[in-house]
Amino acid sequence: MSVTAQGRREQSQNVYRFGFFVLAVAIGVSTLSARMFSLQVLASQKSYQADAAPPTGTVTVPSTRGLIYDASGAPLVKNVITYSVAVTPSDLPLNRELEVASKLGPILSLDPIYIETLIDGSTGSLYKPVTIADNIQVEVARFIEENYDALPGVKVVATKSRQYLTKDLFAELLGYEGQITRSQLGSQIGDHGQGPLSAKQYAELLTKGYSGQDVVGQAGVEVQYEQQLRGVYGTQKVALDEAGKPIPGLTGTVEGSHPGASLTLNIDTHEQQIAQQALAWFLSNSKVQQGVIIVENPQNGKILAMVSLPSYDDQLFADGISETDFQKLLANKNQPLLNKALAQYAPGSTFKLVTGTAGLAGTPALAGTPALPGTPALPGIPAQPPAITAIDTLVSKPYVEIGAYKFWEWNKTGWGPLNITQGFAYSSDTFFYQLSQLVGIDGIAYWARQYGFGAKTGVDLPGEAQGIVLDPAWKLKNKSEPIFPGEVLQAGIGQGYMASTPLQLLNAYSALANGGNLWQPQVVKSITSADGIVTAIQPSLIRHLAVSQQTLLDMRVASRAVVTTRHTQNLVDLPIQVAGKTGTAEFGVPDKRGLLPYHEWFVGYVPADPYSDDFTKTDSQLAVVAFVYGANTYGNVATEIVKYYLWLHYKLRGDPFNTHNPGNINTWTTRITNNYGGN
Amino acid sequence: MNFGIFRGQTFRLKGWAPKAGWLAWRNYDFQLTTYAVLLTVFGLVMAYSNSVTTAHTALSLNSPFVRGLMWAVVAAVVLGLTTVFDYKWLRSFAWPMYLVNLALLVLTLGIGSGTGDAGTAARWVVIGGFQFQFSELAKIIMIVVFAAFLARRQPSIKSPWTIIGGLVILVPPWVLVMMQPDLGTSLVMVAVLAGILFMSGASLFWMGTLVAAVVAAVPFVWASMREYQQARLLSLVNPGADPKGAGYQLSQAMTAINIGGVGGKGLTNGTVVLPVKTTDFVWGVLAEELGFIGAIVVLILFGLLLWRLLVCAWRSTDTFAMLIGCGLATMVFFQVFVNVGMVVRLVPVTGIPLPFISYGGASLVSLAAGMGMVQSANLRRERPEW
Repeated sequence: MSVTAQGRREQSQNVYRFGFFVLAVAIGVSTLSARMFSLQVLASQKSYQADAAPPTGTVTVPSTRGLIYDASGAPLVKNVITYSVAVTPSDLPLNRELEVASKLGPILSLDPIYIETLIDGSTGSLYKPVTIADNIQVEVARFIEENYDALPGVKVVATKSRQYLTKDLFAELLGYEGQITRSQLGSQIGDHGQGPLSAKQYAELLTKGYSGQDVVGQAGVEVQYEQQLRGVYGTQKVALDEAGKPIPGLTGTVEGSHPGASLTLNIDTHEQQIAQQALAWFLSNSKVQQGVIIVENPQNGKILAMVSLPSYDDQLFADGISETDFQKLLANKNQPLLNKALAQYAPGSTFKLVTGTAGLAGTPALAGTPALPGTPALPGIPAQPPAITAIDTLVSKPYVEIGAYKFWEWNKTGWGPLNITQGFAYSSDTFFYQLSQLVGIDGIAYWARQYGFGAKTGVDLPGEAQGIVLDPAWKLKNKSEPIFPGEVLQAGIGQGYMASTPLQLLNAYSALANGGNLWQPQVVKSITSADGIVTAIQPSLIRHLAVSQQTLLDMRVASRAVVTTRHTQNLVDLPIQVAGKTGTAEFGVPDKRGLLPYHEWFVGYVPADPYSDDFTKTDSQLAVVAFVYGANTYGNVATEIVKYYLWLHYKLRGDPFNTHNPGNINTWTTRITNNYGGN
Repeated sequence: MNFGIFRGQTFRLKGWAPKAGWLAWRNYDFQLTTYAVLLTVFGLVMAYSNSVTTAHTALSLNSPFVRGLMWAVVAAVVLGLTTVFDYKWLRSFAWPMYLVNLALLVLTLGIGSGTGDAGTAARWVVIGGFQFQFSELAKIIMIVVFAAFLARRQPSIKSPWTIIGGLVILVPPWVLVMMQPDLGTSLVMVAVLAGILFMSGASLFWMGTLVAAVVAAVPFVWASMREYQQARLLSLVNPGADPKGAGYQLSQAMTAINIGGVGGKGLTNGTVVLPVKTTDFVWGVLAEELGFIGAIVVLILFGLLLWRLLVCAWRSTDTFAMLIGCGLATMVFFQVFVNVGMVVRLVPVTGIPLPFISYGGASLVSLAAGMGMVQSANLRRERPEW
């Protein structure tokens, strides 16, 4: 369009069409105004008033779960929020399924057909939500939530979940948490602390006010301290839509909620790491699959490290483990889910501590107890005087004969006359066979119980085995027969029916090291409430052993002799002073050469001043047990594991694998043989 | 406006400055900007109220209110820039802009995420944490493209080819928007084309013929479609088939409007549950909290805004500028009528935002760009005093 010289338009605007437009706007705005007038001013407002406030309901709001820290205060677990998308088939009209799936697909970067397959393929109740995607991004979650009306049946589930920062390093200790309904799955295994909750634990939780949807600790400290970690769940008023479902965003404040308390462990991450390093090195080099190392402070029972290998990644569970992965873990013959520190094995020669103590201390009179409820009590046992003194000798021979059976010395020759120190140091089987005969099964059983065998230590971890102490009542109850004389001999060297957990054994030697105090092992150091109040967990004494300090001193001297006589190879060459006991226990079925696989043990302790050779003191701050399952090696790997651990713990100088370093690690011990020679 | 010492002086900023220099600002339509700003303020007030009543903390960075404030600042900058920018350049840039527009819509389909209020699959593109809906920008760009096309066709405006040409331009972006799928925006595009065609002086006979042809063709097209295609189309046109979906929204909205009464319940006092209350159903919240008085004030503001847009279009000495003004007016009018009409049950439910008031950065920025173009045309009128 151009303009004339006078600035006049050549062609004026179309008046009619502009007029029409203005009229349309006027009519449109008036119509809307009139409609508003009729709705807001003319209409009776009472008719709607009743519906104005949406119906409300109450939902339970989980409290923030407490955290877990290591001894130095470093967090081992974090709370994170993860979002997942679920579709409830009953809320999704069938004719909109395609539409919803095609909308969800691009949002979640999933194939719509896959989503449809998931929804259609879900078995069971139509009211049960089908999870479409886990761990979706916050933005995506928000989109879906804001548009819930356009995506019928689709909901975003926000879950507070755990992020375990140390993966397999602390897995057995921390455990994991998961939905309570896993219980059915774990009903056969949960009681052994290996899997999720048992049916019994589940029922217990329900009586405590848990709902079937709650997430609870399923293993380790997470389940042991479930109540403290959980805190108190709150309630929240929410607005409900016509279908009775909470409307996102229209929620009241949370009431009555109280965050869970946090836990601080006695275990330092570094200590746990070096323990794991020592154990893992030997397991991988000696082709042994399972092993345990535990470190305890004998003065108070505090657990300073506890590693059980193979382990698992507890994050797998926190993220919601798949059925296949879970079955794979369960089917693994090396039982990664099992905390082997709390499972029971034959203690072997380490048990000679009990037999030796029984011989030196004698046995008080014991009342007989019924083997089974309702049966008459077994005859009581009169008091027995000490069978030997520290200087008495018994003659170690190639074998001890009982009837037609020969019970062989482990080196097939024997050493001649030995006192208790020498017998313990050489780990002479025939010495302890004879001592067992002198003491009797009741004496062995009494002292085994004194040292804490045959009963749970009460450590604050779930799934602890209680072990087996052989006595007439046990034999009668479990095997329906009396004890045969040969079994007494086997019991005296920790074989046969005798079974102990690595932790029980460590605790018994801790009692030896500290002058007879049997402490309850403790993983958690303190509980910090959400208000910041720290409650330290006080050491709890199980019992003071009914034994003289002289007897304990004799046994300590004997345990030191184990090291100094080089029964433990060059452990004596370490600059620090160690006392302890090795152990080997056959188990299982013989191989084609008639040889049995065996466990290897070493349990020992170090005085408070690790460089002083004074074992009259009872001030040890460090006791260690190492256990390897099914070893087939030339030497006692367990001893080397402890040596490697001590090397790392005391930051000894030089390379532990350098043969020029005194007390170096004997790597030859890891060589594989079936022809073992040490006990 | 009298700028004192500048009177009579001409400033030429190399080509694009208004010929009359600072004097041109006398033609700036302050009324138009004032109404737009007031409506935006209403929008921010509603966003604040919605932020308070939902779980958001009103002043948290993610609340609709704070986000809205940020977008309002961006919109103000865009308004200023487009005002200073010579709108005539847009005419020569119309076709490049059209291609960029198509590219952005393809991009949205490709990498877009999330859902809009109608539950669409790919409406949003997230840029630096901000979602942007390019289909909002597309509406403004289409106004410019149509205006440029029809201004050029003025000599043979009565030809049926004018209408066919307009349709050919419309189809590619329209298809892309429908693929998102975004029925609301596609309807706005059709309305804008219709409005601009009408105001450009296109033949009423041929327009009528076209409408008649489309209406006549509907049953045949419908019959030729497969069943699932029909179902999909039905669900687009009538999401109310799901009682818990739009039907529920509508009944809640009616309740909200009703209990608002004459004076309203006061800001943040709304109690009626309204999904998508920050966007498509914001009118329900406004009516409940500000009452009839607030609603009427907003409707009057819209009326005045539209009036000023039409006045600006009328005064323009250039068909291109006139058509931009008319296109913008068509767009605002159509959106206001359909959005409010939907909430008060005068028209079927479609996801169309209420200009200036619905929360949405792209919408506000696009409107600011449109307003800026109209003001730019005001400043550059051939004859300042009309």
